[in-house]
Amino acid sequence: MTVGTHARRPRTHVTGAASSAVRPVLEAPRSPARVLAAFSTGVYLEVRSDVEPSVIALITGAATRLPNSVLLAAGLPHVTVGDEGWVGDGCVQLGRLSLRAHRWWDPAPPLGPVDPLRLEQAAPRLTVGSPGLAGNDAVDLLAGSCARGWLLGVMTAAEQLVGLGPGLTPSGDDVLAGLLVTLRHLGAGTGTERAVWLADWLAATVTYDARTRTTPISATLLHCAARGEASPEVIAVLRGLAGRQALEPAVRRLHRLGHTSGSDLAQGIAIGLSSVLALGGPA
Amino acid sequence: MSGGTGDVVMGDVVMVRTGIYHDSVALMRVSKALTELPGTEVAIVAMATELNLALARDLRFDLPAAGPADLLVAIRGHDVETATRELDRQLAALSSSRTQAAAEQPPLTTRSAARRPADVVLVSVPGEHAFAEALDAVQSGLPVMVFSDGVSVEREVLLKRLADERDVLVMGPDCGTAVIAGVGLGFANVLRPGPVGLVAASGTGAQQVTSLLDLAGTGVSHVLGVGGRDLSAEVGGLSTVRALRMLDDDPATELIVLVSKPPAPEAARAVGEVVASLRTPVVSALLGEGDLTEATEQALRALGRSVPEWPAWPGWSGKAVTGTVRGVYSGGTLCAEARLIVGRGEFVDYGDDAYTLGRAHPMIDPALRLEALAKAAPGDVVLMDVVLGHAADPDPAASFAHAIARCPATVVVALVGTEGDPQDLHRQAAALREAGASVFTSNAHAARHARDLT
Amino acid sequence: MITVGAGLLQEALEAQAVATTPVEWRPPLPGTADALARVLADPRRTAANERAVARLTSARPHLVGVRRASEVLDLDGRTFLHAGPPVDWERASGPMRGALIGATLLEGYAHDEDGARSLLESGGVRLEPCHGRRTVGPMAGVVSPSMWMFEVRDAEHGGLAYCSLNEGLGKVLRYGAYGPEVLDRLRWMDRVLGPVLSAAIALTGPIDLRALIAQALQMGDELHNRNRAATSLLLRELAPAVVDAAPERAAEVLRFVNGNDHFFLNAGMAAGKVSTDAARDVPGSSLVVAMARNGTDFGVQVSGLGDRWFTGPAGVPDGLYLGAYGPADANPDIGDSTITETSGLGGFAMAAAPAIVRFVGGEVSDAIAATRSMYEITLAEHPVYQIPGLGFRGTPVGIDVTLVARTGLLPVVNTGIAGRVAGTGQVGAGLVNPPAEAFTRALAALADSV
Repeated sequence: MTVGTHARRPRTHVTGAASSAVRPVLEAPRSPARVLAAFSTGVYLEVRSDVEPSVIALITGAATRLPNSVLLAAGLPHVTVGDEGWVGDGCVQLGRLSLRAHRWWDPAPPLGPVDPLRLEQAAPRLTVGSPGLAGNDAVDLLAGSCARGWLLGVMTAAEQLVGLGPGLTPSGDDVLAGLLVTLRHLGAGTGTERAVWLADWLAATVTYDARTRTTPISATLLHCAARGEASPEVIAVLRGLAGRQALEPAVRRLHRLGHTSGSDLAQGIAIGLSSVLALGGPA
Repeated sequence: MSGGTGDVVMGDVVMVRTGIYHDSVALMRVSKALTELPGTEVAIVAMATELNLALARDLRFDLPAAGPADLLVAIRGHDVETATRELDRQLAALSSSRTQAAAEQPPLTTRSAARRPADVVLVSVPGEHAFAEALDAVQSGLPVMVFSDGVSVEREVLLKRLADERDVLVMGPDCGTAVIAGVGLGFANVLRPGPVGLVAASGTGAQQVTSLLDLAGTGVSHVLGVGGRDLSAEVGGLSTVRALRMLDDDPATELIVLVSKPPAPEAARAVGEVVASLRTPVVSALLGEGDLTEATEQALRALGRSVPEWPAWPGWSGKAVTGTVRGVYSGGTLCAEARLIVGRGEFVDYGDDAYTLGRAHPMIDPALRLEALAKAAPGDVVLMDVVLGHAADPDPAASFAHAIARCPATVVVALVGTEGDPQDLHRQAAALREAGASVFTSNAHAARHARDLT
Repeated sequence: MITVGAGLLQEALEAQAVATTPVEWRPPLPGTADALARVLADPRRTAANERAVARLTSARPHLVGVRRASEVLDLDGRTFLHAGPPVDWERASGPMRGALIGATLLEGYAHDEDGARSLLESGGVRLEPCHGRRTVGPMAGVVSPSMWMFEVRDAEHGGLAYCSLNEGLGKVLRYGAYGPEVLDRLRWMDRVLGPVLSAAIALTGPIDLRALIAQALQMGDELHNRNRAATSLLLRELAPAVVDAAPERAAEVLRFVNGNDHFFLNAGMAAGKVSTDAARDVPGSSLVVAMARNGTDFGVQVSGLGDRWFTGPAGVPDGLYLGAYGPADANPDIGDSTITETSGLGGFAMAAAPAIVRFVGGEVSDAIAATRSMYEITLAEHPVYQIPGLGFRGTPVGIDVTLVARTGLLPVVNTGIAGRVAGTGQVGAGLVNPPAEAFTRALAALADSV
């Protein structure tokens, strides 16, 4: 009879760069985590924790830097859906991999002061493409209500849109995320208090029961968007609108995201932009 | 097989093959391969042009009629059969096409590397060669950090003037620390993103300020190093002025901290004028006009944030203090700050050029400072810095713990680092404390503690 | 982020998941650090190099005529031109001496070989480098008054340059052969080929060599050791005019041109010469405007340093040999044909010519690597000369002596190999490394000029 002599598999210590949005969950006491999805460029890990974002994305350089992601300096671990790991005490442990952040980036970099006139001129150059919910009544209601600052309409539309559409990040969530981030940043940049106020209410509405209304990944991204956190592609378009970088290339890069994600986010940004301009007009 | 030289051993093979074409270079290679066989004296494998036929005739081969479209083979040697087999092998190899992906040429100069997309250049080649690489960066329109020291002040001025023309920033020479949007270059700490931007003529000074800010929960937008000589009369603050303007234009920066030794009057005037013109408030941390910890506290108050108790792990060594304070430093600015605060004793900056010639920086290689610890006399107080962060010793506590424990003097450590640093601030503090040292995250506090012991 | 220097700092960036482009830095050529620093700090350098290389790459060489050397080059008082930097009979190598003897006999300055030798030994013929007279010559590059020359004009900047007509392969004057068949061929060229081509080009008008070279590159020539496509293209331009100009001589002229894949080389060299001459004399420029060998020395000239030559010993090419010849039969590197490399062709365009890559020792990938490496020491990519296999990237053009010193990378030169004994002719072809000191001496002189 042989006694099992399984060699203990050594841990591979890996470093990376993380969005500062995931710092709270990474620095919280250790909690169990589970692989929700695994792709060639990213692994989504759901952490059993009340801290948001509760889903973090481990990604390679080729992937979109979602606001809840940790960019690895090495290759992704070989894992499958359902694999268990740990997150917390400054570390992600998954399979043989032990990951620590050696750099933090800001997923909601301040835009600084923004000239509303410039926004107005840039607005026609923001192309929306073909969003998944083109012509949807709830989207139209959302756009109309935002522009008028009509809170009840905004909340009604948002209720209908959370989780609407197929895929990991349903189109409805992407529209809302694009809108939230835009209201926050352009609202703050132009000093449009009504837009920021609207963002606060909308954020509270969509995050209230997002965890039960949509996919865990999408719910996490809505939580991020509620705080103004987004991927660099979204931030770049906002910077482009504000005249801080070239707009057209940024819009093209945004449209390349996902199946309809880029267009859905662009639709949300467009709604937010119109609202900021409308709400910031002469009172 | 035809012909023969009459020699019993030697033999000639002459063949004409039709319908085979290879370029002359390919065939010369085959000839060469055959000629190199031990049993071959001469081999000609060539298209039967007049020139090649004449060559073969000169070698007294007996040739049949052949034209330029034919392949002529003429081999002489004592083992022509091997040569013939090799010929067939070589010709077959020629026919099978080979395509290989050529490896990319790695860039050999910064100029060449800058043909690819890039945003910053980090130069750390030996000082006498650093100018060329830095110049390439500036001329490619890229900001550059020159970690190397030993660049003459004339070249520094030239570089910075050119950088002004190209609208890019030159950090350095002799710039040890920079952080750009969270990316630490050289010796830098792992910092959270936030509203404070630094312009620093001192690397360790910047590390002290940013580490304390981070411990206070306040992040940093960018740390722009300018090099220790930037605020001299010769350089006149060229990079400082540019860096201040860049941070002023950066929406993420709400407050600027300027870290430097007191500048030369000319540079001070130029910088002062620019500071007055900025929209962003500036806190100056000029050594001698206050310490770095005070400047950090001033910055926090300017942001309307509260100033925490700076983490410290003071201990009681039980050793009597009868002697003097010995500063055993790796950071020049930290050393100068401590010397000013203590006001007496012996201070050595082991990061000075005099000590780094031919060896690694003391933040990486502890050897010289280990010697200094061993040499300390009973009754002395050793005041030393341990700087954490990127590129520094991966476990300095492990390097020093033994020496501290055995050191007959009382040891006080200024531990400069953040909770996010790869070395783990708390683990380092615990290990140093365990070894018997008093540990302070503020260098100024460590220095005052040492002063008060004596 | 580009990193150059300490690996530790680059690793720290990688640990932060920062994409880095590490420079494979190495110290500059020994003894050049000081001169490099002074030359790099010369405030004129950047603009001077931009101007010089822009003139080099914007030149538009056109073949405008075929004319007798005596008409266009002032060769009175028994002057011969030769390849490379200056050399006298004393130091001349076998093939150079052979070619000089042949030219002396051809011009009738002596009646036999012994007479020619003693005339040359006694300095009875003045020897000057081709390069000083707007001329280039392949291999020995000997030009004597009666020879016919391609005349190439730069339609952009108006310069003129000359190169002799190519005699073909085998025993030829440029490889130092001077037997009766060599002289007979030269006399036929003098009597028939020159006048017929001259008349033909008068009919065609200027032929755009820049366009022709660009096409040939895309047809697998690198324009130094392979000129098959370029020769065919030139022949296509010339053939009807040759028939019109001299119907009774057309067949022999066309057969001669057609029988020599390198016929275009000389026209291409004149194109290179007129282009690099356009880049001369820009004060402060470190651009190489000539690389040339005389069989003894390898010399370079630099835009910012006028007509001064900087030399080192010519190396023996490493290559493949004809017939039973071997390295022992080879003469050190010789000829002005390195004007092709100087103007961004030849070895620099190896990737365009997979058919000849075996000179480099093997594979297509080696040729691509050779061309790619030359981007490290050149100032520009040619706007018109492009390499299909590299995604139509322009060829590397404009050698900068500071980049040669910094990288230690020497220009890749394709070349024919001459026999070391006068009269032997060509013994092979291959690659040769220029001597580094030619470049470091030029650099030192640039430093002194700052």
